[in-house]
Amino acid sequence: MNTADVHTLLGPYVLDAVDDIERAAFDRHLRECDACRADVSELREASARLADGAWSVPPPALRDNVLAAIGSVRQIAPISPAPAPAPATAPARSSRRLRLVSAAAAVVVAAAGAATAAYTLQDHRVRVEQARAEAAQAAESRVRALLASPDLVVKEEPVTGGGRVTVATSKLHDAGVIMLAADAAPSDGRVFQLWTIRSAVPIPEGTLAPGQTAAVQIVEGMGQASDVGVSVEPPGGSKTPTTPLAADVKL
Amino acid sequence: MAERGTSRRPEHLSAVPDPDPDPGDLLRAVAGGDEKAFARLYDLVAPRVYGLIRRVLRDPAQSEEVAQEVLVEVWRSAARFDPARGSATSWICTIAHRRAVDRVRSEQAASERLTYVGRAQVDVPYDAVADEVSGRLERQQVRRCLHDLTDLQREAVTLAYYQGHTYPQVAELLGAPLPTVKTRMRDGLIRLRDCLGAGAVA
Repeated sequence: MNTADVHTLLGPYVLDAVDDIERAAFDRHLRECDACRADVSELREASARLADGAWSVPPPALRDNVLAAIGSVRQIAPISPAPAPAPATAPARSSRRLRLVSAAAAVVVAAAGAATAAYTLQDHRVRVEQARAEAAQAAESRVRALLASPDLVVKEEPVTGGGRVTVATSKLHDAGVIMLAADAAPSDGRVFQLWTIRSAVPIPEGTLAPGQTAAVQIVEGMGQASDVGVSVEPPGGSKTPTTPLAADVKL
Repeated sequence: MAERGTSRRPEHLSAVPDPDPDPGDLLRAVAGGDEKAFARLYDLVAPRVYGLIRRVLRDPAQSEEVAQEVLVEVWRSAARFDPARGSATSWICTIAHRRAVDRVRSEQAASERLTYVGRAQVDVPYDAVADEVSGRLERQQVRRCLHDLTDLQREAVTLAYYQGHTYPQVAELLGAPLPTVKTRMRDGLIRLRDCLGAGAVA
């Protein structure tokens, strides 16, 4: 899609009337076009006013549920060093929200329920890892949507050598999130690699860097997978697992 | 959190509330972890958020569920709000609309809802927009401004915004060429903006 074509999507983009591919193309376009960003901001103000016409009193239970829910949802930090308003809010945040774990990790941990203590030491590593992931906003919002899906199923297994692998899947999204939090990296410079098993065939789903113990990975088409596995492989990963699985989560 | 159960109701039902706080100020406080500010923000925006989602999804139970997701998301990502890029209300509505549309599309594949609701909407685009509209000035203003659009602009904008249709779906429903629909959406929004004086609205 060339620039002229993309630009014709301004109206549909503001109205969320584009598909995911077009939205991504337009987002790219926006990064290069200051004037377009201003257009989008202005038209968003107008389109948001359309919500005025739909104003409707929510069920009273919603307020209770939302206020109860935020108690267990940790907030995210701004993507970049924030401009002017940040200094005012930063001290408040640093007191209570010091242990800012990514929402993905937090929700998975909360959903998994057990082994909270085991995660405490992992939080930092997960956070570091997730901070990287958050740079990729698309992936992040996908994780968010997945973890928020009403049919989320969470399974967890120990990893040989210590730690856990947690798999959250949604049939609705036909996708899942694998979260690995191992106690220690494999020895001899070897690395963890993630797999899904589909029709008895292992499919590589991502390889961690040497020394890396935690990862959050989105897997599409999770509906066809029977298992999620973790194996220890040479740096860069393998085409098929070369060691017995260090963890095997049956879906 | 134990104290909330007793303290929040009286606060919520208070007959003489503080003058309406600015959603942008509240959102900044929320970004700092202020749960009280979040409760006030909730009271300010929840009817708009829930109403919008309900308009798109129709089903009350699903709407409640998605509204909860959205409002929790507002709490979670409040730090991402950038006042330089628009108002807090618009930021929140954008999240709500996007979520509602995602949900409606994930269900559309298997359902007849698309054509059924779509046709009904084309027959009465204006009434459908107006049916929940009552006395509040701002809502009257939106209605009036929608009325100022050309028929095709209004239908293109409302089919997309209130029904969650993509522009190719809108083109099909309206029997109009794709480029025309894209243009009508943009021009409709521009006209709406000019009518609402949206640039100046907080």
